[in-house]
Amino acid sequence: MENQLMNLTFFLLLLTVVANLIRLWQPKEVWNRLSLIIMGLALLSFLSVLTVRTIAAGRLPFANMYEFVLLCSCAILLLALFIRKTLKSPLFDLMAGVLVILLLSLSSILPSELRPLMPALQSKWLYAHVATAVIAYGFFGLAFCLGISYLAKSRDDAANLATLDERIYRVVIMGFTFLTVVIITGAVWAEEVWGTWWSWDPKETWSLITWFVYAAYLHARRTYEWRGSKSAWMVVIGFMVVLFTLFGVSILLPGLHSYM
Amino acid sequence: MRERFKKWWEQFIRIMASMKTAITLLIVLGVVSALGTFIPQGQPQTFYFHAYGHLTGSLITLLSLNQLYQTWWFQLITGILSLSILICGYQRLRHVNNLKSAGSLLLHIAVVVTVIGSVWSLGYAKSFYLEIPVGEKVALAEHGLRDGRLGLKDFKVDYYPDFQPRQYASQLSLKGYKGKNYEERIAVNHPLKANSLKIYQSSWGWVMNLSQLTPDSAKTIQIKDKNTYRLQAGMDVRAVFIPDYAEESGNIESQSPLPNRPHVWLTLLQDGKIIDMTVLAPGEEAQLGLFTLRFDNYSYFSGLQVKEDPGVYLVFAGFILLILGILARYWQLFFPPKEV
Repeated sequence: MENQLMNLTFFLLLLTVVANLIRLWQPKEVWNRLSLIIMGLALLSFLSVLTVRTIAAGRLPFANMYEFVLLCSCAILLLALFIRKTLKSPLFDLMAGVLVILLLSLSSILPSELRPLMPALQSKWLYAHVATAVIAYGFFGLAFCLGISYLAKSRDDAANLATLDERIYRVVIMGFTFLTVVIITGAVWAEEVWGTWWSWDPKETWSLITWFVYAAYLHARRTYEWRGSKSAWMVVIGFMVVLFTLFGVSILLPGLHSYM
Repeated sequence: MRERFKKWWEQFIRIMASMKTAITLLIVLGVVSALGTFIPQGQPQTFYFHAYGHLTGSLITLLSLNQLYQTWWFQLITGILSLSILICGYQRLRHVNNLKSAGSLLLHIAVVVTVIGSVWSLGYAKSFYLEIPVGEKVALAEHGLRDGRLGLKDFKVDYYPDFQPRQYASQLSLKGYKGKNYEERIAVNHPLKANSLKIYQSSWGWVMNLSQLTPDSAKTIQIKDKNTYRLQAGMDVRAVFIPDYAEESGNIESQSPLPNRPHVWLTLLQDGKIIDMTVLAPGEEAQLGLFTLRFDNYSYFSGLQVKEDPGVYLVFAGFILLILGILARYWQLFFPPKEV
């Protein structure tokens, strides 16, 4: 059941990409509506995947790397659907679809079997830590899509670009706020479970590096008026660091988060 | 001379308060932290020579890149960044006139409070690992704490149907710690908290009591699962606990982690080489080389992490300030005040 629903989600996401590719060349309202409907259906199908998995496991899908990537992908799709109405950009919709497809493709190489929670994960902090991480990464993914849209449109009308730049800034602030909470909940939980609130575990360290990158973005924007392309590039680089924290660290640098 | 110092001081403050300095330090700290994730930390020196070759291995150990986060220069960079943030914050103090600027100031103070808390933690926290068999007690003073006597009354492991551990828990008694007594059941994620002392459920294992028998005496040997005990020079006995011995299978193996048919597998080693072995049930004895050994009984031991760390509360205070600072700094961005 879960596999069939996942295939359906994948198919609908591919349709979203196709619809938005057509929209790029044929910017008609009918394609805009169709894209919205398909994206909405993809989200519904995705939510069904998560629901079926939750029922089968008897717990929320918060326990391993595969489930985390599913949640992040779903968060990006949900946030993209929220933001697309005011944006009306086929390029943004296309980027969101491609990003979710890429994340799901990467998740398929991860072990997906349902496993019960090991003792270290049996904590109320698990839900606070993972939920905030999903939201933070969702916002950073969204900022990345907006950043790419900005860079592709850099010859566009200056007023439109300034609005887009401001939107990226707001999305990054949301991501940064949630990332701060992720690091804090992780530290408080680590203190509760291992008695060390910070161990310089690779995942922890790279989360801090991600925080540094976005903190540098916020400071450079405020103090040096780094807006426009420079700012968009920083957001793109920031998301590369997020992806490394998510996949690179888990695969290349084992540590306390190895069970993820 | 005084003029020169004043000039130098002003220049120092200007550099430290500059955003360029703060961002540069942030990037340097980020890059150095990243480096520490690629070089395995805390390994013995020989590991680095073996893994990276003589030249790179020497460089790693010379620059202490194998203990990067504890090196003086890493802590110096963190200290300079904190100082830069503090000076920036002080200069902003004059411009605090609304929620946004107050939030920004609070946010920066919070980072410094967290760093100070972590330095306090690093300098004053006492942390050690203990393994206590069921029914035994340990004086915490032996491990550097002022007082307290920690005892393990009981230990239990709860399994999933596939025998993966669901949870494990210790019934602890802590007597005379700062004049108070505590009786508590701890489990993973549920430590015992007594003021700034915390005791964590960390691991567990089996411990066996054997007797070394001679015609006129019986010497008690306590040995943990998969450990060895020196019987005499060059002669060791290794004990492996088999909780659910599958005798019929013909192999020395356990059917489950539950102690349904407990046995011990003893191996006699001479200079590290196996010369004899046997499997015993509780109460049984056997001749192993020149030694007669009896398996008396077995029990769980609980692996406990004990920590006394007053600095962690300052870190947590920093966390609360950090969240309050972020909320105040960006509140108006998401909830703009309604225009009258």
